This record gives sequence, C-alpha cells and structure tokens, in this order.
Amino acid sequence: MNKLKQQLQFQSFLLPILVVYTLFTIYPLLQSLFLSFTNFGGYSNIYDFVGFKNYERLFVDDAIRASISYTLLFTFGKALLVTVLAIPLAIILDQNFVTRNLHRAIFFFPSIPSGLLIAYIWGFILAPIGSGVLNKILNQLFNVGAQPWLSDPLLAKLSTIFVATWAITGWHAVLYLAFLQSIPKDYYEAASIDGANRLQQFRYVTLPLLAPAMTVSVMLLLTGGLKVFEIPFALTKGGPGFETLTVTQVIVQKGITEAQYGLASAMSVVFFLIVLVIAIFQVTMMQRREQDL
Amino acid sequence: MTTTSHKRKWILDLVMLPIGLVVFFPFYLIIINTFKTMQDATRNPIGLPKEWILTNYVQVFEETALLRSFGNSLTITIFSVALVVLIGAMGAYPVVFNANRITKFAMLYLLAGFMIPFQATLIPLFQLMTGLNLIDRLYGLIALYLNGSVFVFFLMMGYMRTIPRELSEAAVIDGCSVWGIFWRIIFPLLKPISTTAIIFQTMWIWNDFLAPMLFLNSSSNSTLVLQIYRAKGEFTVHWPMFMTLTVITLLPIFLFFIFMQKHIVKGIAAGAVKG
Repeated sequence: MNKLKQQLQFQSFLLPILVVYTLFTIYPLLQSLFLSFTNFGGYSNIYDFVGFKNYERLFVDDAIRASISYTLLFTFGKALLVTVLAIPLAIILDQNFVTRNLHRAIFFFPSIPSGLLIAYIWGFILAPIGSGVLNKILNQLFNVGAQPWLSDPLLAKLSTIFVATWAITGWHAVLYLAFLQSIPKDYYEAASIDGANRLQQFRYVTLPLLAPAMTVSVMLLLTGGLKVFEIPFALTKGGPGFETLTVTQVIVQKGITEAQYGLASAMSVVFFLIVLVIAIFQVTMMQRREQDL
Repeated sequence: MTTTSHKRKWILDLVMLPIGLVVFFPFYLIIINTFKTMQDATRNPIGLPKEWILTNYVQVFEETALLRSFGNSLTITIFSVALVVLIGAMGAYPVVFNANRITKFAMLYLLAGFMIPFQATLIPLFQLMTGLNLIDRLYGLIALYLNGSVFVFFLMMGYMRTIPRELSEAAVIDGCSVWGIFWRIIFPLLKPISTTAIIFQTMWIWNDFLAPMLFLNSSSNSTLVLQIYRAKGEFTVHWPMFMTLTVITLLPIFLFFIFMQKHIVKGIAAGAVKG
C-alpha cells in the first residue's frame, strides 16, 4: 500500500509537463494533420474531406513555392556563412591579446536583442534611398550610386542572410570557443614534438576535436534557420514580390489572415517534415564524419 | 620566443579592432542618433550630433506606453520562466529517480515531439487559444510559453543523472516523502542547470515577436518588442525617436547580459558539450 502511494506520488510529478505538452504541442500537431485533409473555413463547423487536394495546391501556389525555396536558401546560406566565420573567429578569440575580452563582448552583442530590433536597425543602414547610411558611406568613399539593398530580388536575399549572419556568428563562436578551451594543451605539445607545424596542428588536432561542436552548431543553425521569420519580415516584408517570403510568414498569412485553414495546415505538415528530415539527415551525416576525422 | 609571441598579440589587436568596429557600428549608429534632432539626423546620420539633446528620451516616455509594455514583458517573462523551469525539473525527477515502464514511455513521448516547430502547430493553436478565451490575455501567452518545459526537461534530465542516487535513498530511509525529497534535496541541487535554463528561456521569451504578435491584440497588453513593431508605423517620419525607443528596449536585456555574462558563456558551453 505504501509502495503504491509512493509510486503515485512519483508519477504525479510528470503530470504538469505531460498536460502542457499534449495540449500545446501534440494536440495542435494532430489537428494540423487532420485539417490539412479538409476544406475547413474557420467560421462554421461544416467541412468536407478533400483528400490530398491541399497538398497538391502547395505545389502550384507561387507564394508557397517561393517561400520554401527562400527559406531553404536562407537556412543553408546562413549556416554556411556562420560556420565559415565562427570557427576562425573562435580560434582568434582563444588567443591571448590585449583587447580579447572586449572583442568577445562585441561579437556576442548582436545575438542579444530580438531579431525584430536587429532588422529595424539594419533597415536604417540598408535603406534604399540615398539617405540610407550604407549608400551614403559608399557614395562618400567610392562614389558609388545608391544600391537597392532591400528591393532588388538578389540583393534583398543576400541582405537578409547577411544581417542574420551578423546577428548570430558571435554566439556560435562562443560555442566553438568552449570546445577549443576543453582541448588539453598536451595535445599541441605532443604534436609539435612530432614535428607538426601550426597548419598541421590545426588540421590534425583542432579540427577533429571541433567536429562535435560543429554537429551541435550546424544543427542549431539549420533548425533555427528553417523557423526564420522576424528578420526578413521586418526588413523586406517578404518582398520584392515573394522573393524573401518565409514559410512562417506564409503560414500566418494563409492560415490566420486569409483563414485558408486547410491549405495552411498542409503547409505546416510539410514544414514539420522538412525540419525533421533535415535534422535527422544532418545529425547522422555529421556523426559519421566525426568518426572519419 | 617571448618577443615573437608578444608581437603576435599586438598584430591581433590591430587586425581585430577595425573588424570589431564594423561589427559594433549598427549599435553606435542607433545610440548616436537618439541625441540628434530630426533635421540633424537626416542630414548627418553617421557623425556625432551637432548639438546633444535629450528631448527624444522625454518624448518617447510621453508618447508611448513604454512603462506599461515593460511591465507586461516583465510579467510574462518572469512567470513563464519560473513555471517552465519548475515543470521541466518536476518532470525529470521521476524519470531519473524512479525509472520504470511508465516514465520510460513518458520520456519517449516527450522526445518524439522535441523537433516539432511552433509554426507547424500555429493554426490549431490559434483556434485552441480562441476557444479557451486566452487571446489577448497575458496569462494566455504565459500558458503558451509553458511549451518550453520540454527543452528544460531534457536539460534537467541530463544534469540529474549526475546526482548520486544514495542521496535520495538515504532521505527515504530518514522518512522523507517523495515530495519532500524533491523540494528539499533535489531541487536545490539543480541550481547550476536551472541558471542555464533560466538564461535561455529568458532571452527567448523576452525577445519573442511571433507569439505576442498573434496572441496579444490590444495595445495595453503589448510587450516591449510588440511595442517597437507598432511604433515602427507611427514613427516612420521621426526616426531619431524610433531609435530612442529601440535603445530603451535594448537596455534591460543588455543589463541582463552584463550581469549574467559568466553564466551565459558557461550555459552555451554546457548545453553544447552535452548535446
């Protein structure tokens, strides 16, 4: 009897998390799946099952197609840029120089504010008209004419990716730095006794030991990148046209503003599958690579 | 040898300073423009103010419900973070200290949904919140943020496994109840990992824009970030004022960073090394 009471007490600790998680994550996800096969309009309870019609519409809707391709471009572009910049940055910030702590703080700073604020600040810098700060600087230094940083299809894509990279590179450098600092100094001494030069030490000591950090960092970059919303939304509103439209913005627009529940739900389900596939693929790939290095 | 390494230090300083300045430039830009008049800022956005003024700061407090939004952000963040840490820690307790078939199933159930993005559940969530009458309620948003407890649960589970089991077993022998062991022995021991969880959750909830935008409609319930979004429309013509609002909004989270700096860096490291 006492045992049973103890067991019940123990299990009761699980209750809050299971309730919250079921109510706010699992139930809505199943509901998304269900709605994606209906033509539910949001206001009446009358709906019909339409099979895969909503999924078929995903592939012909211009806004949705554009949003998927931009979100993928943004995610991989940002992940690549951040990784390429964060690793050397971490190595530099690991060296012993006078302004080291100042630089650690400066590079970390941009990761602190909300993405919305970051985007608005950069909005002033990248303003397309001649009064935009970047255009002004370029004009004074190199006598270049005003560039449409946020309204040209290609430049808008590059600008949003650049701003996101600026915001998060320092954060990932700190992550790599934590791993660098856990590498015992003996490894380098042993390598230099064996005659390895600095480049070889980097290739054969530092890089393999950074591989697990890379798995974590890239995973965070990919899952976070796919969920991108604030930065393109605040910088370009998804434009010009659909050029920088994100999946999240489309779900909000179609599902909530336009009340196209079925279509937006199908989009949600596809989005979840994309996140899942990329995450699983990335983690297995990188863990295999960690062993090769 | 010492001279070359000494020299290398200075080279790094010289190389990094211009790069650091460029990275910091956007912050310089918004701060400097809060002290300019509209005309001064338009003519000369980059340089120092012709005449330093503080009227933008006074005016922002007069024209926007800044303190109210600050209070809303604070309320939402404090309650959500406290509850999320508590619920996550509570959930991990039986999974680690009383492992059996039920707790194993619960853990797998939570793991299965770890990758579900908020966006994929957004439309049913909107209906659910409407149905439960949680739209435009601060406590509605707090309830929604409780989702974060799944992330905390996994952090806590990893950390709890390092706590010796003898500790709780000894307490049982001493006649301590299951509840008593958790509150008096286990929970206080979780302080380091709770700090990490609090930092991550605070940064994300304080900065979140999507959920407040969708679920808080009235301006009296606005969070700080939402206030910025709404002010962007009002202040399009007067951007020194908008920048002042931005700087004031940035201040609390930067202070948080400065006070928690050591823990933040440690938290990123701990999270990463475990992951």
